[in-house]
Amino acid sequence: MRYTARIYVRTKREVRDPQGEAILGALRSLGLDVASVRTGKEIVVTFEAADIAAAGEAVRQMGTELLANPVIEEFQVEWTDAADGSREDKPFTSTARARGR
Amino acid sequence: MTRVALLRYPGTWSERDFQHAFSLVPGVETEILWHEDADLRGFDAAIVPGGFSYGDYLRAGAIAKISPATKALRRFADDGGLVLGSCNGFQILCEAGLLPGALLRNAGLEYRCDWIHIRVESDRSPWTARLFGEILRMPIGHGEGCFVADADTIASLEENGQVVFRYTDQRGGATLDANPNGSTANIAGVRNAAGNVLGLMPHPERCVEALLGGTDGYRVLANVSRALEPAGRAVYR
Repeated sequence: MRYTARIYVRTKREVRDPQGEAILGALRSLGLDVASVRTGKEIVVTFEAADIAAAGEAVRQMGTELLANPVIEEFQVEWTDAADGSREDKPFTSTARARGR
Repeated sequence: MTRVALLRYPGTWSERDFQHAFSLVPGVETEILWHEDADLRGFDAAIVPGGFSYGDYLRAGAIAKISPATKALRRFADDGGLVLGSCNGFQILCEAGLLPGALLRNAGLEYRCDWIHIRVESDRSPWTARLFGEILRMPIGHGEGCFVADADTIASLEENGQVVFRYTDQRGGATLDANPNGSTANIAGVRNAAGNVLGLMPHPERCVEALLGGTDGYRVLANVSRALEPAGRAVYR
């Protein structure tokens, strides 16, 4: 079976996120009432596995051994059917926005 | 002769600076090893130089940690070989679990390229033999040098003398202003429990002659000649 996992890597809550702090300041300077910002990254991985249990184990290994550094980060997994990792509900992209203008 | 291996990953850029620095130390010969087929047998010390291995993709040092060279380095360190990682090399050693902690984006988000001072906090590493308490002046150049670890790890590092370098002002005060990147407790370099693996963010290889603005790096690197002495092997457990 082919599986596609969306892996979200974030810095742990107790670890400072200076990028998030800078973005928070920038959003506030736009006049927006923002309480906090945390940044992270999304990694979309497509791979073959025997079943969902094996796929889950493979993703756990990807996360703990490479994609996230357990000293400072944690990760979360979402499964998607689309091979390119895209969602059914398309996110609000800059392309969509440009078209709307 | 003391034989020193200089590991080169894709994106490493300080290996030739280290080669030049060690060429000034009597009795030392160096060899640059490509990461894919690095064989550390027969070497007394291994250096993980700075740079941007794998373009810092994913996290600084993250991809280098699964390179064949890092596997060889782990065996070398387990056997008591002397290891020093500077800048990106320090990041790789932390990612590989050869050193505790991790290096995050600098607190101020700036890439810091500057001369700083560090105080030698421990001489229980062959690299800092006879340098205890000295204040050294070295250059830094990094965007991800903010050393962090959980509170228990920091406490045990402090307790076991594993904090080897701390950012200070030129009089040795570990002040907030002297900390270039927000590192916990101004930590600039740590060693492993055995004492044979050392990592630091500053660049000792860039201050080995007066012409380059300082010679304090030479004082650290010249200690590699102790690698051949029985006491130079890991005896710090």
